[in-house]
Amino acid sequence: MTGTGDGSRIRTGIQVLDERLKGGFPRPSTLLLFSDKPTEKRLFAENFAVQGAIAGEITLYVDFFRAPTLARAELSRFGKYPADRLIVVDAVSSQLMVESSEPYRIKDIDDLQEICDVIVQAIQEQKPSRIVIDSMEFLADHFPKDAVLDQWKRIIDEAAKVRSVTCFLFINWTYHERDLSAIRALSDFVVEFQSSMRGGILRNSMRISEMEEGGIRTNWIPYAFKDLVGVTVYFPRIMVTGPFNAGKSTVVRSLCEKSISIDRMGTTVAFDYGSVNITGIEAEIFGTPGQERFEFIFKIFAREVSGVLLVIDASRPEDFERARHMLELIGPRIPYVVLANKSDLPGALAPDTIVRKMDLPDGTPVVPTVATESKGVRDALAILAEMIIGVR
Amino acid sequence: MGDPRFPTNYAILLAGPPGVGKFEYTVAQAREALRAGERVVFVTLDLHPNEIRARAKALHLDLEAYEGKSFAFVDCYSATASERPEPASGKKTFLVSSFSNLEGIGMAMSKAAQELGTPVRIYFYTISTLFLHNSTQAIAKFFQIVTSRAKMNMGFILYAVQEGVHETMTMNLLRSLVDGVVEMRFTDTMDREVRVHHMRGYQVDSSWHPFVQMPVLPGGAL
Repeated sequence: MTGTGDGSRIRTGIQVLDERLKGGFPRPSTLLLFSDKPTEKRLFAENFAVQGAIAGEITLYVDFFRAPTLARAELSRFGKYPADRLIVVDAVSSQLMVESSEPYRIKDIDDLQEICDVIVQAIQEQKPSRIVIDSMEFLADHFPKDAVLDQWKRIIDEAAKVRSVTCFLFINWTYHERDLSAIRALSDFVVEFQSSMRGGILRNSMRISEMEEGGIRTNWIPYAFKDLVGVTVYFPRIMVTGPFNAGKSTVVRSLCEKSISIDRMGTTVAFDYGSVNITGIEAEIFGTPGQERFEFIFKIFAREVSGVLLVIDASRPEDFERARHMLELIGPRIPYVVLANKSDLPGALAPDTIVRKMDLPDGTPVVPTVATESKGVRDALAILAEMIIGVR
Repeated sequence: MGDPRFPTNYAILLAGPPGVGKFEYTVAQAREALRAGERVVFVTLDLHPNEIRARAKALHLDLEAYEGKSFAFVDCYSATASERPEPASGKKTFLVSSFSNLEGIGMAMSKAAQELGTPVRIYFYTISTLFLHNSTQAIAKFFQIVTSRAKMNMGFILYAVQEGVHETMTMNLLRSLVDGVVEMRFTDTMDREVRVHHMRGYQVDSSWHPFVQMPVLPGGAL
């Protein structure tokens, strides 16, 4: 699975993910979209299917929960796609005892063999490049385990013959850990999903692990869904901080199309706030005041940040100690990028000098910026995004 | 206790045979919560939202006055028709595609709670319907996860369950996973009675009280 040429990889349509995956998932491959609690993993699968249809690829969607009309209506929320590119295997009309004119229709929902025969027939005839099985827990919950695992393997084999990337959705209600290991072993990638509700806000995140030894492995990536846009990677709470007068508010302004600042006589007293959307990354940006007397606000914001842009004035090494102190307040586990701002001023220090003077670990990213001209600021955010996503 | 509402961060199972008045009891609870300014999510598996609106109105609860503000439906019923029902304007309904889509039900409840704001009171009518479409094992895990999520992050949940259609083991399992059980029954003369069987952390009078038609609450049980 090392092909990189045209057609050997299947894009997710989520740019930062596709970059991490070196262009997408390889053909053929098997994805296990897994969670052990209710999550929004269907969003990822639906987005993946619709992205394929939009790109003109044949996409097969096997739906055990929604009649085809409903499935197509809900999939169109992810964007307009050519109708003939998306083929639905109808496993629901027979459950509802309604008529169906779908070419691929499961007549007896209590017959595992027939269910899988219809799926395999659709794979052989349509040769889809993407397949979504929504979802395997329907089968796991209705049929004996060994028979389900046999049919699972059969679908994987048939999909591999047409070089398809197959997504199996699976929430585990019934299987034991040992069976789960067997299912993971059948997969090339496991995409795990988490949804958590804290303070009344629902947060979704996912993590991709390639099962192969030394394969790709990401951190938990937060994501969000918007009608007609689909799934985007979303970073809540990126904190912009740094010593007094380093240019934090200017950084927030240059990143965000719209931002607000609560300031007094040109210096920020509460916080700056804005949101940014670049190259498939959406982020929520908070700027904190740099003055020490507002440290209590800083401590409140620092609690739940996903990453930090530390803005320093590259021409004022006397403030570096203060910047270092701020990093200590944030704690050791939060990824951060240092923005060496005002790098156009005479006497501005070079990144490696800053690393040495601030006594930062080797490899700490220091990006020279000129926030007033928007230079380097977006690069710094992109680097931070990569650090948050992480990759092995 | 003078307050007829149950505590928050709490889960209740309401058990009784079909026709004993579980729906009336549930609506009475929802009505008191809404009148007290609380938020309510009604998860329906057995009735169309329109039927619930009509029947609630007959029980002195005008749901439409609260919809979109402090009340929302999670509708697992309508999608059994293959067309997507168009939601009426101003009313926010969270649609679940199928009774067997347990994950979808769980997420729709979270989203409804998020949209309305927490804490929220969730009424689940009825858990019995799930047993027609899913394995007991799957429902047990769903029940456990949803109950703990509802208690921890959302506030309160009450499940109605049909007595006499599930095996004893299943009923005991459901009872063991909640904090309190309210039971309803018919007497020999076909009068209806209700009692609070137990409530974790509370001293309750577990004797039977007549279940009077609305608007009086069951025997002042709480």
